[in-house]
Amino acid sequence: MSYLESNLKTVPTGFRKVLYLNWPLVILLTAVACTGFLMLYSVAGGRIETWAEPQMKRFGFGMAAMFIVAFVPIWFWRNISALAYIVSLLLLIAVELFGSIGMGAQRWIELGPLRLQPSELMKIALVMLLAAYYDWLDVSKVSRPLWVAIPVALILLPTALVLKQPDLGTAILLLAGGGLVMFCAGVSLWYFGTVMAAGVGLVFAVLESRGTSWQLIKDYQFRRIDTFLDPSSDPLGAGYNITQAQIALGSGGWSGRGFMQGTQSRLNFLPEKHTDFIFTTLAEEFGFLGAIALLLIYAGIIAFCIHSALSNKDRFAALLTLGIAGTFFFFFAVNMAMVTGLMPVVGVPLPLVSYGGTAMMILLMAFGLVQSAHIHRPR
Amino acid sequence: MIRTPLRPLARILSARARGENPDAIERENIRLRGEMNRDKARSRAEGRLLVMALLFLGAFVTVGTRMGSLAASEPYEPQLASSGTEILAQRADIVDREGRVLATNLVTHALYAQPQMMVDPVGAAERLVEIFPDLDRDRLVKDFTGGRKFLWIKKKISPEQMQAVHDIGDPGLLFGPREMRLYPNGAIASHILGGASFGREGVDSAEILGVAGVEKAFDGWLRDPGNEGAPLSLSLDLTVQAAMEEVLAGGMRLMDAKGATAILMEVGSGEIVAMASLPDFDPNDRPAPLTKGDASDSPLFNRAVQGVYELGSTFKIFAVAQALELGLVNPDTMIATKSPMIYGRHRIRDFHNYGKELSVTDIIVKSSNIGTARIAMMIGGERQRGFLDGLGFLTPTGVEMVEAPTGRPILPQKWSEISSMTIAYGHGLSASPLHLAAAYATIANGGRKVTPTLLHGAAPTPGAQVMRPEVARTSLDMMRAVVTRGTASFAEIKGYEVAGKTGTADKAKPTGGYYKDKVIATFASVFPASDPKYVLVLTLDEPVEVIAGEARRTAGWTAVPVAAEVIRRTAPLLGLRPVAEPADPEALTLVRN
Repeated sequence: MSYLESNLKTVPTGFRKVLYLNWPLVILLTAVACTGFLMLYSVAGGRIETWAEPQMKRFGFGMAAMFIVAFVPIWFWRNISALAYIVSLLLLIAVELFGSIGMGAQRWIELGPLRLQPSELMKIALVMLLAAYYDWLDVSKVSRPLWVAIPVALILLPTALVLKQPDLGTAILLLAGGGLVMFCAGVSLWYFGTVMAAGVGLVFAVLESRGTSWQLIKDYQFRRIDTFLDPSSDPLGAGYNITQAQIALGSGGWSGRGFMQGTQSRLNFLPEKHTDFIFTTLAEEFGFLGAIALLLIYAGIIAFCIHSALSNKDRFAALLTLGIAGTFFFFFAVNMAMVTGLMPVVGVPLPLVSYGGTAMMILLMAFGLVQSAHIHRPR
Repeated sequence: MIRTPLRPLARILSARARGENPDAIERENIRLRGEMNRDKARSRAEGRLLVMALLFLGAFVTVGTRMGSLAASEPYEPQLASSGTEILAQRADIVDREGRVLATNLVTHALYAQPQMMVDPVGAAERLVEIFPDLDRDRLVKDFTGGRKFLWIKKKISPEQMQAVHDIGDPGLLFGPREMRLYPNGAIASHILGGASFGREGVDSAEILGVAGVEKAFDGWLRDPGNEGAPLSLSLDLTVQAAMEEVLAGGMRLMDAKGATAILMEVGSGEIVAMASLPDFDPNDRPAPLTKGDASDSPLFNRAVQGVYELGSTFKIFAVAQALELGLVNPDTMIATKSPMIYGRHRIRDFHNYGKELSVTDIIVKSSNIGTARIAMMIGGERQRGFLDGLGFLTPTGVEMVEAPTGRPILPQKWSEISSMTIAYGHGLSASPLHLAAAYATIANGGRKVTPTLLHGAAPTPGAQVMRPEVARTSLDMMRAVVTRGTASFAEIKGYEVAGKTGTADKAKPTGGYYKDKVIATFASVFPASDPKYVLVLTLDEPVEVIAGEARRTAGWTAVPVAAEVIRRTAPLLGLRPVAEPADPEALTLVRN
């Protein structure tokens, strides 16, 4: 069922839309962002201007963008989803050709004063396009091979481009986010089973390829796997990040050392302390309770998204909400798993907390889409 | 699946008949189908959502649990696993038979400089000279200010020196950790252990190489990681070694000798319990080898193993034992000892004139050169050579030291009749004191050959039978008589039944001929005589004892008292208890009270 068939008169218009926002979601997002400000203030050694202030400004802009996106009717977003995907894809290709190189990877594109990371944009555009695709596609056809092949191609195309940058973390997020939308759209479980088996096979192939002429991943990625399996094997080299992070978590204990008292992160033991590894600062200063509290806020955001999706009769809106929630979930789950040593370091920031402009803006705009879906749900 | 047609013909016809709009039926059906599809999709989606939510929950719980376990864990600081660890602690310790450490490793630091990183090269050089007075200031300044990128300043520094250098605070002065070989007992057993020095050197570590003694002989073994740090266990006993060295040093001083050596060996196994050579050195700070003069005057020279000497009358027992073995004589056979004995253009003399003849036992007890020479004539050169070969006198000892092959006996160019006669009383054949100890051990071992060894616990391979046990026993009894009523009476220590033979050999001049007043005094002994356990060979180089204005150099006055003191000191350490000798019944007197 689509909006064409529902009664549009029940959808709020004008400034009345403010009343229909998913306010708990807004509050939770702000709470997470505020945690991030505190942490950035702390890791900068008590200086607000280093990281916290720019981050606050970005958050302000991001919230404004979120509201603007939220007030635009959801069907507009559905109609431009294909366009958004194509633009993102072109930008990814452009970054491959003209992008600037930072931290050993080609991820950025300069647009005047704006530094854009098209892979961030692609995370959302991919989810939008897949949701629109399954909204358009007849439910009875979702599991037919041809109609499965199309979304798979739509996922793999940008994933391949991102892998080439190389950015393993984002590639994983793209795969997981796209796969989640397909899963929610009701694609037969057989496909997922097959993909998982193939994935296990691929892991074996990758590990087997080490040192041969057809080596599938880069040496630094192998080293990351090695250090994941045994961080103490190279405590001063590649395993440094993860070992120090775990020391920080351990020294935080239950209630932490107290705000601004973290030694591990503030004494510059940790590289990337304000980006990918900011969670360790939180865990050290606020301990297990602080970390769990942040985890619960994240869980709350996911829960409100799922609830909103369940109460939304529109298929595009529901799938989009779930896809964004899923991407968001993978974002912080991968980061936390990485920091706590449950998976190898792949370079994924902690959403809304880590310092970084594009990621935060894009995420807030994505939550704007969720809000738009919530406001404009058929009643 | 059977689909409900959107325009069921029957219903449309009946609707038309009733005059109703048939399109309403189609609309209604479209709506119903839409709702059906939607419900199907929803129920499926809700199932999927449930699975997803469970996965999310699982992930949350996993991360939460992990954080909990990390928070509960003690923060563990990983130890610096630097690249140096593999090289550190690679050389095995050396221990004595009781496991006491003779050589081990100590972590120390080397000091090096990277002048390009230095802040104040001249100031640093000046302060370095204050810490290490042996450094040359001008040279350091030149090194630091020149174009050099790297230079070693000191190979080993103490923690205090390291702190002092640290306090200079110059970033161009750097420390490299390394291990050095430490001999905690100083000079004790120095010749056996030898010493070690650095091989290939890096900033983070340095290889330790053995340069002498067992350190070099077992260099490969000590560095073999396959031994997993198992120490090298020597046959030495540290306490016995220390006691013997102390007594030997005192005796050497008392007898005004220029050198001394002593070997204490287990009879059955050939294990060397103690072996000393004086003068000695500290293996922690090995002196440089002599560049001129006689190498045997260097403290590095191991007299026990490397030094070959004409060992004099200690050899007489071999001639007598062989004659007994061959059945040529028995202990009571009388041998002519009229002095001087003239053989061709050679004259053989005795220290004293012993009259016309002596029994074989008395030849040993009184140490008659003439009597021994006559016995040697009976044996003949060929057989004598074979017998001495059986005792090991013709080849190096083969003890586990790199110096052993240099202790090669000096044999006469032609084993003529006269050399056979002189060899019988210990001239004309030079051998090391260790050779002598092994030969005496063979006699003490019932005639079965003993091979000297420095390794503890290796099961001895039974040696060849060089002489019959009865002959060995008879020889021992003669040597016991040397102590009880002969030249070695100072060695009579109540309860230890010392048996032995003295030897005083004139020292050969390097230019040929013999010194008149320089001797090598040797006492080779076995104790306890009734059940021989140990052999002690003690040699003094150029001893002289002046008693009442008369210089005495014979072993009975020099080597024997020192050896007796060694036995007195070490026998209790070796676990020997004084035993009551079977009393001579004739000596018993009735005591009336």
